[in-house]
Amino acid sequence: MASIANPKTPEQRPDKPTNHARNAALLSIIPGAGQFYNNQKAKAIAFFIVIMSYFAVNYDLFFKGAGAGPGDRGGLWGLITLGEVAGPRNDHSIFLMVEGIVALILLFFGIAFYIWNIRDAYRVGRIRDQHLNVPTFQVQLRNLRDHGFPYLMLIPSLILLVFTVVLPLIFTFLIAFTNYRYNNAPPAKLVEWIGFENFTRIFEIDIWRDTFVGVLGWTLVWTVASTVGVIAIGIFLAVLLNQEGLRFRRLFRSILILSWAVPAFITILIFRSMFNESFGVFNTTILPAFGLDPINWMTDPTATRSALILIQWWLGFPFIMTLMTGVLQSIPGDLYEAATIDGATIFDKFRLITLPMLLFATAPILITQFTFNFNNFNIIYLFNGGGPAVPGQTAGGTDILISWIYKLSLGANPQYGLAAAITLILSFFIMTLAVIQFRRTKSFKDEDMI
Amino acid sequence: MKMKKMVAGLSTAVFAFGALAACGGGTDSGSTNEGGSTSENKPEKIVIWEDIEKSETTKEVAKAFEEEHGVAVEVVEVQMTDQKDKLALDGPAGKGPDIVLVPHDQIGTIADQGHLAPLTDEGALDAFTDASKSAVMFDGQAYGYPKSVETPVLMYNKDLVSEAPTSMDDLYKLSTDLKSKGEYGFLALWDNFYFAHGVVSGFGGYVFKEDGGALDPTDVGLNNEGAVEGFEYIGKWYEEGLFPKGLIGESGGQAMDQLFTEKKAHTVMNGPWAVAGYTDAGVNLGASALPTLPNGEPIKTFMGVKTYALSAYTENQEWAEMFLAELTNEENALKMFEAYNEIPPVAALETNETITSNEVAKAVFDQATNAIPMPNIPEMGQVWEPMAQALQLVATGKQDAQKSADDAVKVIEQQIQANNQ
Repeated sequence: MASIANPKTPEQRPDKPTNHARNAALLSIIPGAGQFYNNQKAKAIAFFIVIMSYFAVNYDLFFKGAGAGPGDRGGLWGLITLGEVAGPRNDHSIFLMVEGIVALILLFFGIAFYIWNIRDAYRVGRIRDQHLNVPTFQVQLRNLRDHGFPYLMLIPSLILLVFTVVLPLIFTFLIAFTNYRYNNAPPAKLVEWIGFENFTRIFEIDIWRDTFVGVLGWTLVWTVASTVGVIAIGIFLAVLLNQEGLRFRRLFRSILILSWAVPAFITILIFRSMFNESFGVFNTTILPAFGLDPINWMTDPTATRSALILIQWWLGFPFIMTLMTGVLQSIPGDLYEAATIDGATIFDKFRLITLPMLLFATAPILITQFTFNFNNFNIIYLFNGGGPAVPGQTAGGTDILISWIYKLSLGANPQYGLAAAITLILSFFIMTLAVIQFRRTKSFKDEDMI
Repeated sequence: MKMKKMVAGLSTAVFAFGALAACGGGTDSGSTNEGGSTSENKPEKIVIWEDIEKSETTKEVAKAFEEEHGVAVEVVEVQMTDQKDKLALDGPAGKGPDIVLVPHDQIGTIADQGHLAPLTDEGALDAFTDASKSAVMFDGQAYGYPKSVETPVLMYNKDLVSEAPTSMDDLYKLSTDLKSKGEYGFLALWDNFYFAHGVVSGFGGYVFKEDGGALDPTDVGLNNEGAVEGFEYIGKWYEEGLFPKGLIGESGGQAMDQLFTEKKAHTVMNGPWAVAGYTDAGVNLGASALPTLPNGEPIKTFMGVKTYALSAYTENQEWAEMFLAELTNEENALKMFEAYNEIPPVAALETNETITSNEVAKAVFDQATNAIPMPNIPEMGQVWEPMAQALQLVATGKQDAQKSADDAVKVIEQQIQANNQ
């Protein structure tokens, strides 16, 4: 009631109320017309030119030129049908799909810009309705220079990102729902949308299910065993090196860090020779020295798996050891003093002070260690190519999901659709794990432990 | 707010330019597709992909062809092993060649995906040996002109062996005699299925059953009685120490070459590609077809045929075939042999003096009569890895021949089956 008695808002000025906002927005259906109505001529021309050139440039992509068949068929048509006539001079389903995705992305930006064109006209109209000053083009340009500089700098990389990251992502995602594989590939055949068939194939056909379960099982065992081992060894050595009164500490630390100094793939290749069954040093020298029989490192799945885990321990511990050494130095000494006064043993001190402090401070890095090993393609591929081959599954005995996907998509008889479906499942795993773990980790919250 | 607007405006402009660029590429490929010239019209030029550093002869023939027919032939060097993948990308984009050079065992995979066009004139292949003709057949159609043929033969050091042994039993005896001296009578990379196949199929095994010229991928004969016998025979050489331990695995080839050039191995089983290395190292090299197995059968080695095939994207198929017929005719094939030691599977050249006077070429020709073309169906891709593993298990004596062969065949069959489910 009071507001009516004391009119302050611009709407209730004595002038006749205007409808510039609505009019401008409606006029904007023709790009730039709304801005023109708002007396922003430069902007109007800019809008008009950008949208018209957008149409001119993309007309072919949207409405014709896709595929080689007759008729005006646009990129989106290609994405929906994946072509109608197979053959080297006709529709190439995969190219049509990529064209379609590009069309889709451009269409998205086009629509976004068009909507913004309408919104802009509406907003300026509303400013006019409120009888406020409409900022001039020059003012807007100055604003852009003063406040928008970082955005301007970011735009090129954003565009690059859309076409180098987002486009392949969409492509992989879409391939998972097609029957694209070595004996169903363009140009000889058309690729078709098959819905979730690749996923049901993984779970319903015995050989694929067995392979998937086998590979997933080993992937999880591998991830946990290799990561936990690396962390345990790293912490153990770091604590050992941090003992007071230890002599030649630097020497020990330097020696222990050496395996980090050699590039991982060289180490893996050297180990691969050392584990060679007929002339590797393990079978010819080390095992006989202990009176043990040679082991089939490369042809027995269990032996290969053990070898892989041992190599990953070797490769991974120096990083954790270095990390933990740093954290150990930041634990306040008075905690230990107090513990000693309370009569704690050395193991109590480790279990109740050192370990929680270490794990708390490094949790995010330890999580990345898990995800790193989950996708640790290098070691699996370089050591034995995922082998040995084992009956009952189509992947090798030491293949983890990522190396199995590699074989499925780049092997002798590629199964692109299936590989893409497994990729989606794998990403789902990683993302879920990452989200859950990151959320539960205390160190991501603001509080300090001490 | 204003600033945001301006940012968005600029970004749209940039997108528009991006789209312009993308579209430019698209129209290009469209126009090439439309502008298909008929074979009556002479094309401006045809393009052939030749193997790297082996194109001089082809260029000469191309020049002669242009003078005679008025059609230019552009010879582009592309690594033979890369041509398959490059064709799959360049072909649909309208930038591909008319002719590619591929190993014949890839023909099935490439043709199956529609990148190759079958020959219109199969009769032109009559000039080639039967084995090489069957190598380029896939799905009942001929897919190319054989350029050269490769198969492992017996190579021996003439300083150590006066005459090529004709039976494996002789070689076996030689090897057991030499063992005490720390020398080797015969070495072969039998843990590699490419080389082991000769023994396995010589005893009666087969990769895929041949049925009226077509291979049946559901019938794998690598664990039948004969194949297992072959495995056992291979195992015997390793078990009795006639092959050194270092011969197993991927560095085996190096070990073998070293022993042969150091005169510690008297004979080896190897292909024509190894000749240059051996003669450079000063080996007084002799070559012959491989000896017969104890059962009296020859060693039926794998044969590889480098093949000129037609791209499915070519618009000048008749001209391309005409050029290939010329490139692989007797005269030019002989030139190719003289320039690059590419042994031509041209039937008429079998008795040609230039070839028979070259011991290795003659050995390859002789061996090729018993050789089996590597299966060129896509399913072959599933055979190598399990077989390598089975052979390794047999060679290292870790598992008996029957079980190794059974396991390998089971894996192969499952893989082939799974790929089609």
